[in-house]
Amino acid sequence: MALIDLIVPEVVKTPLVSKDKPDLLRELVQVLKDAGRIDDFDAVLRAVQEREDMQSTGLEEGIAVPHGKTAAVSRLQLALGIAPQGIDFNSLDGKPTQLFFLLVASPEQSGPHVEALAEVAKLARSKAFCRALIGAGNPQEAVDLIRGE
Amino acid sequence: MGKPLKKIMVYIDGTEQSVTAAQYAICLASFSGAELIAHYVVNTRAVEDLLKARIFLKDERVEYEHDMEANADRYLNYVGELAQKKSVALVKKRSRGNVHKEILDAVREYDVDLLVIGELSRIRSRRDEFYDEAERAMRTVPCSVLIVKDEDRIWELYESLG
Repeated sequence: MALIDLIVPEVVKTPLVSKDKPDLLRELVQVLKDAGRIDDFDAVLRAVQEREDMQSTGLEEGIAVPHGKTAAVSRLQLALGIAPQGIDFNSLDGKPTQLFFLLVASPEQSGPHVEALAEVAKLARSKAFCRALIGAGNPQEAVDLIRGE
Repeated sequence: MGKPLKKIMVYIDGTEQSVTAAQYAICLASFSGAELIAHYVVNTRAVEDLLKARIFLKDERVEYEHDMEANADRYLNYVGELAQKKSVALVKKRSRGNVHKEILDAVREYDVDLLVIGELSRIRSRRDEFYDEAERAMRTVPCSVLIVKDEDRIWELYESLG
């Protein structure tokens, strides 16, 4: 399933309310829980945190791609969080992070997982698009932007 | 008059849609007597892109490629079982690299008459970043392409096959 099929208003949160990285990760996983996409909150959070402990997924220009593998999900799941004020995510360029694409999948879904991550990487190259996404006033606006509508 | 279909290739990518495509390809092969190939591409191109974008670490690359190879085995074996249940011979193939290019190369190498793929995304984005590899293959392969939809109907068709 492509990224575009995963991005629906129920898995988008703007603005995020967390002020630091640990809370931010919890808030993103909670988005998936609240949308009914996951049952085991702790297992999913653990998978994402384990990856963050290896190295921050905060990239440059305000984007982060926290991700993880866990058998606690049967399908690839995506949550998008937007923090217009920026959060310190230990990013590669040291700047605050405003866009968070959380992706989790089971190890058996590694193909679709990799492809979805690659799509996020392509999106992240467009600074204009990222600026527009950060400015999205509500989840539906963010979804429409990603769908190119 | 020769057979209209001699070789069918179904692209498997670990999605439910590709499994549905395989079921339909099995039905087609059974009805037409065509040879059936199931091809899985381990998308190492995407992994390279993630490494370059620094979304993946080097250890992750190894780990995910290992998972993808294991998934290739798993899904090809599963599709093989589906074919065996209906007494249809199936050749399992895999390759690594850029998905649409590998599909194109396989179609040429095996001299495929019909490429069968799973349902594409129903949402057509105007954003250039969202191009589906299977869709790209569909546009470039020299043979006919069948996009399989309606999972429930295909399942019934497959189940009814003798």
